[in-house]
Amino acid sequence: MLSAGGGVAVERAVPVSRRATLLSTRLVARDTWWQEFDCPDIAAAALPGQFVMLGVGLDAPGAWLLPRPFSVGWTGPGGEVGILLRAYGEGTRALARLETGQTALLLGPLGRPFDTEGAEVECVAGGVGLAPFIFLAAREAAAGRRVRLIYGERDAGAVFDPTLIARLTDHDPELFTEDGSGGRKGLVTAGLDPASGALLLGCGPTPLLRALEAFAREHGRRLQVSVEEHMGCGIGTCQGCVVRGADGRWVKSCIEGSVFPAEELDWGAI
Amino acid sequence: MFGAEFPSPVLLASGTCGYGQEYADLIPLDEIGGLVTKAVSLEPRPGNPPHRVAETPGGMINAIGLENPGLHGFIAEKLPWLREHLRRAHVFVNVVGHSAEDFAAVVRGLDGEDGFLGYEINVSCPNVKGGTMFGTDERALADLVARLRACTERPLVIKLTPNVPDVGDFARICEEAGADGLSAINTFPGMVVDIGRREPLIGNKSGGVSGPAILPMGVYATWRARQTCGLPIMGIGGIRNADDALQYILAGACLVQIGTASFVDPGAAVDVHEGLSAYLEANGVARLADLVGALRARPGTGPAIPAG
Repeated sequence: MLSAGGGVAVERAVPVSRRATLLSTRLVARDTWWQEFDCPDIAAAALPGQFVMLGVGLDAPGAWLLPRPFSVGWTGPGGEVGILLRAYGEGTRALARLETGQTALLLGPLGRPFDTEGAEVECVAGGVGLAPFIFLAAREAAAGRRVRLIYGERDAGAVFDPTLIARLTDHDPELFTEDGSGGRKGLVTAGLDPASGALLLGCGPTPLLRALEAFAREHGRRLQVSVEEHMGCGIGTCQGCVVRGADGRWVKSCIEGSVFPAEELDWGAI
Repeated sequence: MFGAEFPSPVLLASGTCGYGQEYADLIPLDEIGGLVTKAVSLEPRPGNPPHRVAETPGGMINAIGLENPGLHGFIAEKLPWLREHLRRAHVFVNVVGHSAEDFAAVVRGLDGEDGFLGYEINVSCPNVKGGTMFGTDERALADLVARLRACTERPLVIKLTPNVPDVGDFARICEEAGADGLSAINTFPGMVVDIGRREPLIGNKSGGVSGPAILPMGVYATWRARQTCGLPIMGIGGIRNADDALQYILAGACLVQIGTASFVDPGAAVDVHEGLSAYLEANGVARLADLVGALRARPGTGPAIPAG
């Protein structure tokens, strides 16, 4: 189904579960890896803003590990699925230790994608919230379009290798760091242009999303955000990943999101 | 068993498979034994605030709060799909209530419908106020089972809580009150603390712990239930593979349910069935039923209930 603006198809493919080989893994910033899996089914069907559940499966020796949701960060012409993985805890560290040639279980593509309707787009990313915008920018570049990519990190050591971003997306992000050690000093929201009418897309930590929502509301801008809540299954069965909707309902971020138009959420409860 | 042929001894556990539809594209549902729906209550329930789930060592904790569309919503929105799409796999509807009358009203409301085989009565949810009330009070449990027995002739399976001194006592009560089977066991109450915020991580403060961490407790509960009653038992708690399932079967379960493991691998229930078939063939066992309760427990070598 094409949206009214004739842009991104928003009809979603049926998710599949695949054991996929890790084709490459590369340390791209402090505690942060770019991994590419061989998974043609998911690569062919995924849309920017969708995610995969990534885990090692049940037969991995030792550790018990629930899968984690990761935004699809890129899809390659050879069926590659790229993800941006930052190791926060035991589970993500175990995934980061995967070596080329080993396999993992991928379930996807999941969730509701960004709906850009062919609009002018400004992407605002905090940390690994950059991932879906790498995918989006690459798709847009392939279609001969440009997006504005604003990317913030705490410090230069956390910044995803800009040459790889450029190679994947054909875009140069506008970089901000909180301590000024890379790019411009400050928060990504300092890069927002009140005069612009572009569709805002946000992905990153909750304080960033809140700031974007306040900005969008103040300036009458349309905003879609990708939210993350702890997930169990990724497909709507466990009802574990709810956020409060504007209508007071608990909405499942895995299938009703993870991308939401900002007006669908209760920002007092986010 | 329960008056039906099961295409596989492996079912999907309540709360981990929605109302079936979500798994239809991922696994061949008619090749598994069946599924137990997410709980159905008389009125819709909104569920608990987030976080609702988190990983724990060897498993996970959840406190969903029995979010569900209620009896009428289930009949209108969920049951038609199950009726239409499942041919061989069997459906048990998991039923919850605040009171015995709530439980009875759900069973009475469903009993005239088709599209499911029986009921799994949830007297053991640790995540709602009063959720385990019936499962931890012998008198209340006996009265509830007897009351529901009078409401239906369908298979009536009681999902036990492990949160009692001896599951065996509660298993016997269910049998005496007219139940047809048992599910052993539901999750264990637990808590995870967010040390950064110095508050409970889970929105409901506490939750139910599932996954491999509770496998030995579930096997033990199954064994105790088998010792005290003759009802068929569905073994549940921490099963990842055929070896885990065999522990339950040898301890006395004739069917098993896969819960948290489906989140790790949606195909877990299919793989467990294949593994069980391979075990039977490799060990020259004609039927899985020959292994049910076939545990060789040495007499006089230990107390039935561990001290301390």
